[in-house]
Amino acid sequence: MPVLTILLALPLVGAIIVAFLPKRRPELVYPIAVAVSIMPLVVAGYLLWNFAAGDASFQFAENVSLNETIGFGWRMAVDGISLFMVVLTALLFPISIAASRSVTEKVKTYMVLMLILETGVLGVFLALDLLLFFAFFEIVLIPMYMLIAMWGSENRSYASMKFVLFTAAGSAFLLASIIALGVITGDRVGTLASFDFRDMLGIEFTGATQTWLFLGFAVAFAIKVPLFPFHTWLPDAHTEAPTAGSVILAGVLLKMGTYGLLRFNLTLFPKATVDFGFWIAVIGVIGIVYGAAVAIVQPDIKRLVAYSSVSHMGFIVLGIFALTSQGLQGSVFQMISHGLTTGALFLLIGMVYDRTHTRKIADYGGLAKSMPVYAGIFLFSAFAAAGLPGLSGFIGEFTILVGSYLSFPVLAIVGASGVILAAIYLLWAYERVFTGPTTNPKIEALRDLNFRELAIMVPLVALILAIGVYPKPVLERIEPSVEAILVRIEAVTEYQVPEFGRQDDAVVPQYGEIDPGVGQRSEG
Amino acid sequence: MENAAFLPVAFEVILLLGALAVLMVAVIADRNRKVWGPIAGIAFLLGAGAGVLQWREVLAGGGGLFYSAQGATIFESPMVVLDGFSAFAAIVLGLVGFTAMLGSWDLVTRIGKRSAEFVALSLLAVAGLHMMASSPNLVVIFIGLETASISFYILAGFVRDDTNAEESSLKYFLLGSLASALFLYGVALTFAATGSLTIYGANSIRDFFSNTVVTQPGILLVGMALMLIGLFFKISAAPFHQWAPDVYQGAPSAAVGLMAAGVKVAGFAALGRIFVGGLISQIDSWGPIIAVIAAISMIVGTTMALVQTDLKRMMAYSGVAHSGYLLTAIIAGADGLPAMWFYVGTYAFMIVGTFAVISAVSGPGSTAAPMEDFRGLARRSPEMGWLLAILMFGMSGMPFFAGFVGKILAFVAAGSVGYIWLVVLATLTTVIGLAFYLRVVANVFAGDEDAEDDIEPSLPTRFAVVIGATVTVAFGIVPWILIDVVRDALPL
Repeated sequence: MPVLTILLALPLVGAIIVAFLPKRRPELVYPIAVAVSIMPLVVAGYLLWNFAAGDASFQFAENVSLNETIGFGWRMAVDGISLFMVVLTALLFPISIAASRSVTEKVKTYMVLMLILETGVLGVFLALDLLLFFAFFEIVLIPMYMLIAMWGSENRSYASMKFVLFTAAGSAFLLASIIALGVITGDRVGTLASFDFRDMLGIEFTGATQTWLFLGFAVAFAIKVPLFPFHTWLPDAHTEAPTAGSVILAGVLLKMGTYGLLRFNLTLFPKATVDFGFWIAVIGVIGIVYGAAVAIVQPDIKRLVAYSSVSHMGFIVLGIFALTSQGLQGSVFQMISHGLTTGALFLLIGMVYDRTHTRKIADYGGLAKSMPVYAGIFLFSAFAAAGLPGLSGFIGEFTILVGSYLSFPVLAIVGASGVILAAIYLLWAYERVFTGPTTNPKIEALRDLNFRELAIMVPLVALILAIGVYPKPVLERIEPSVEAILVRIEAVTEYQVPEFGRQDDAVVPQYGEIDPGVGQRSEG
Repeated sequence: MENAAFLPVAFEVILLLGALAVLMVAVIADRNRKVWGPIAGIAFLLGAGAGVLQWREVLAGGGGLFYSAQGATIFESPMVVLDGFSAFAAIVLGLVGFTAMLGSWDLVTRIGKRSAEFVALSLLAVAGLHMMASSPNLVVIFIGLETASISFYILAGFVRDDTNAEESSLKYFLLGSLASALFLYGVALTFAATGSLTIYGANSIRDFFSNTVVTQPGILLVGMALMLIGLFFKISAAPFHQWAPDVYQGAPSAAVGLMAAGVKVAGFAALGRIFVGGLISQIDSWGPIIAVIAAISMIVGTTMALVQTDLKRMMAYSGVAHSGYLLTAIIAGADGLPAMWFYVGTYAFMIVGTFAVISAVSGPGSTAAPMEDFRGLARRSPEMGWLLAILMFGMSGMPFFAGFVGKILAFVAAGSVGYIWLVVLATLTTVIGLAFYLRVVANVFAGDEDAEDDIEPSLPTRFAVVIGATVTVAFGIVPWILIDVVRDALPL
């Protein structure tokens, strides 16, 4: 059964269903959109349930060649890294669609775009054909652009255009690199080109080629992550986007960048990864400190969370290029955790924004009196984002710091300051918004979260707590996949993972193997 | 054999008969104007049908060279060639012509009596365009070029009461004639260098190169360069593009679609026929020239399109950039021709669709289409707004739209012969291009306050736009069928 194709098709089918709802019944759009967006989550749950833990190979693989000459095919599979990205995507979309009750204009178009966006994001995490990957990577821009440009706040046209042009500029290098990669691979396998990821894994690219291709990929992903100094599109886009747009942007779109680094840069260009790893880790650390420092002084709460994303994504990049098992595991874990915590924070900000229509921290104060439940959930999410032990953020950041200390002790120490800064900006913001005397009379009259809003927050809160207390089920699925990447890097370069950086006794299959046991389907 | 002898020229014959029929009806029954459109439409569709028959004939192993009067002259020279290349050109040109006719229907019904000329000239022009793709003889290619060009000079100035249109027409005529002259001079010099005017057959250019080592290629190089310049002008590749913005803007909106799309298709067909078909052995001489022109076209087209405030001018500059992308396919030689066909075949429909929208929004006879006209289009006519957005995404090269597939095929072709620098430049300009296409989209979905009148485009115009958008989406999502087809659309 082509589970992954079904997963990919479900949001699209949902979009078509929503698009053809009768014009006379606008009230149907919201419940049906929520309902159809839950379907992919069910399939993602099926994947999670049937995924063989402790197995590094690609599972649920689908491989249908669509064009022999240019070597393009419908090639998809999940491993321990993409599995959680897929689940996170499938989870955040129904939540953000459910949180879009305040969208009153062109609701149908909005929901259709959200569902198309979901297909695009899922495709990015599933594709094992570089051209297919690029197609999904790029198509995501259109619905996201439309969401910001049509439903954003005041400065939306500037922000949406900036978002598209920044990320598309990166995509230009990515596309050029992918084409070069495809042509080189095609030479080896005897076609005009080949974009099969697993064909590419068999090729060792020569020095200069590898460097250029690595940089081409890295620039594209660095903009998407975003790494300092390519981050300037992010605060604008996050701030101007509608609530659901911010959730999806921070929750899953940024992960497309770190996922790309992990999936393609590390495996296809191991030599260049080892050569440039330190410098990219340095940029990551700059991002950690810079993002956190700037977040402290933001007067706009949404902008504050946006800059905190820059900081948290810096951690992930540091963990990736530390090239230790802990660093990589922590990075993948932090991707999940950041998706949950930042998603929760943006949702919460959206909920109060719907009531007050202001995002200025100075306009608030004493909010905890009128909205105690809201304040509690906000504090919980802020603690999770700041890395309080027992919550998901701690596991991710701690593991990253342990892993990167083995490779780059100084960077790890500097990076650790990001944890402290996070506590400062989040708790200070909490203090200014929720405690103290109520200066704004409007604040007193606010009603606390209603049932729908609570229902939206509960899954996120529960997951943040669950994987924070008991991360093992997640980590044991991530570990084999990242170990396989390290084994591959060690095999083709002189790099040695530092002591304690990898479990030596782990039996790891070669990276890129397809598990024949699980949901295998292959044709043509 | 009798049938086969008609088939190679069926496309031209059908279109010329169509043009004749329109003119006859105009003379006999002056008042019955509505009948001209259908006649032209049927002629175009029959032409495309003839193309399909030609295609099947070629796949069945038929086709080949056809002589004007076999055995009558000392140098037997083939005048028509029937191969995948010419058959595919017939299909594309017939369908593009049909769609463009739908798009210019509003204009045809408005200009009254003179519309018979308009329709007949459109038919003649497309017949000429196909001759550029289907003849192996350089002089016949030139005749096709002139037939099409002269028709288009008239069409560009068709709305006589507008000074812009007059300027546009005159400018097109003067510069176009110069380009035609240069092309003809190139043909003459190529003849001087190779002793042949024909690409295939006995004593052909290909023959010449397979038997001769050219030690002093001076005249040949000048000849090739002049032919290239003539064709660069027609496809509006920079720096030979200056006429395009003024002509696109000055010509009636409903007439530009055919002009822009048809000439692109035929211009690239002629480039493919002459240079890949005939002069492929000289690719080391002309390849770098095309690469440089492609690079200049992408840069100039993209940057100039960014600053335009008129959609028609923007389309002209974006056309310059697209010529650049298309040229990247040509430098790969025979491997690049399928890419070129896919790209130009789908792009032509996008152009026609876009100009149909422009004609619906700014008026079919208008010579300006300021960007403000399109503000809030999605509100005034949701259908037109969304379709225009699709067309813009298609041209910008977004994945899952046909423009993306065309670009990928072209860039892979260029990459496979080592022009990586050109691929990098092409992807970069594609991104910059995104800025101006998105500006149109942003305009379409903006302006909630404006309470302008709703736009009710006529049925034929809507059909033209829908066809353009359907091609864009369909061949973007399932391009495989077309990719398989264009693989066989090669010159003999």
